[in-house]
This record gives sequence, C-alpha cells and structure tokens, in this order.
Amino acid sequence: MPELRPRFEDLFVGYEIPGRTTHILRNQIKTYADASGDQNPLHQDDDFARAVGFPGVIAHGMLTMGELAHCLTDWLGDPAALVRLKVQFRAPVFVDDVIVAEGRVKSLDPKARTAVLDVWVSLERDGNTEYPIRKGEAVASFAER
Amino acid sequence: MTMNAALEGKVYPDATFTVELERVNVFRAAIGEESDIVPPTFATAAEFTVMPFIVGDAELGLDFTRVVHAEQEYEWHRRFRMGETLTARSRIASIRQKAGNGFLTIETEVFDRDGGLVVLARATMIERGA
Repeated sequence: MPELRPRFEDLFVGYEIPGRTTHILRNQIKTYADASGDQNPLHQDDDFARAVGFPGVIAHGMLTMGELAHCLTDWLGDPAALVRLKVQFRAPVFVDDVIVAEGRVKSLDPKARTAVLDVWVSLERDGNTEYPIRKGEAVASFAER
Repeated sequence: MTMNAALEGKVYPDATFTVELERVNVFRAAIGEESDIVPPTFATAAEFTVMPFIVGDAELGLDFTRVVHAEQEYEWHRRFRMGETLTARSRIASIRQKAGNGFLTIETEVFDRDGGLVVLARATMIERGA
C-alpha cells in the first residue's frame, strides 16, 4: 500500500505516529523464543523466573522491541525505511500485559530526508503507567531509493 | 565470579545464518506481522546464531542464567532478502562492572556474500550480581 506511506513533506516536529497495541500471551513468548533462538528460561519457566525475583516469566525485551519496530514499519510502509533503532529495557513485561508502542517526530533533516523519532512502549499495571521502553530513538529515511 | 574484562575486543568465529522462510514465518507470527516483509528485528535471530560462542566461552565466564537484556541498538544498511545466507561476526565491545553488576556489550556485524554490511547490532546485557 505505497500510497499510504507518510510523505516527508507532511511531517513536522511533534508529529505523532500511529500506536500499536499488543496483548502479550504466553504462547507468543514461546513462539518468540523459537523464532529468535533466545531460549533463556527466564522467558519460559515460571519457577526459574520466581527464583530470580519476578512473579513469573517475562517477555523477551527483544519481543517488545520487535513490536515497537513493527509499529514503525507499519507506519513507514517499507522495512528498509527504518535505518536505526536504539532502546533501553526499563521495566519487565509479564504474560497478559497489554503494551502500547508509540512515537513522535523529534527532528527532521530536509537535506538527508531523515526523521529522528522519539519512541517508547508503555503499559498500565495497578493503576500506574510503566515504560518497558521509555526513551528509545529511531531514525527513518525518506530518501528516494 | 565476574567476567574477564581482559577479553574486551575478542572476536568470535563467524557463524552463517540463512533467512529461511519457515523461521521468518515463526518470527512474523511472534510479533503479529501480517505483511510479507522480513521484519528488521529478525536481526536478533542472527545475533543468537553467535550467542552460543559467547555463553559457552569459559574464558569470559558469563553466567547466562543471571543475564538480563539492558540495551539494544540496530543500524540497518539494507533489508533482508528471503533465502539469502549471511555471516554474523560478534566481538566484545566492552566489559564493565558497576554496583556489583557486570555489563557486557556485544557488537555483531551481519554481512552478505559480497561482504556488504546488512546490519550492525549492539547488545548490552547485565549480569546481575549473585
């Protein structure tokens, strides 16, 4: 659907990109383990996770980052337009959490036709907003290719 | 036991990695990707091709059961092509100790057959203090 791709000319600082909401399921975490090759028991074995201080298995940080990248590539309409993504993992994501990936334009470089984006992933737990990814940064390219 | 900081700069053997349709499909299912793209973060699968060398490196002494992923960065130079075989090469970029925890940063370069860089990945893991 190339006609739905954002145009660089339409962007401005503060422009909000459409969010992506995901309900994290146990079998999804297992699928991610198999797909990525990250078989750390922290993501599969509740007893192991409890022994290291969590209430149960936690999702891979990279699953959360994958959902964030999915949010960005859906918006960009082209995976190659995402040229950089950097995140810190700040809070665990548990089974049954509902995570929301979002972002907004931080700066624009008209010469290079690139946009720097602030990106983050949040969830609501016990009436509080937590940020599994709080201050991530992405760079998207709108150069002719 | 703490990680051996003298290993900063160590380069691990190359690992080959194929962008297989079947595995990409599992990856797409995990992140709910419904289009036919290879998700950029499929790069994680390439990093985990090399990870056994690092986890199994007795000289390094990393206790993977105490590892939590702290930071991740990707720089993509081009998209993945379905079916292509790539080479992943990891090096230890830094090893630090802070407040009883170990911080390990691994840089993985993923090259194509022509030697062109496809993606650079930088992962920082925390080995939590025992």
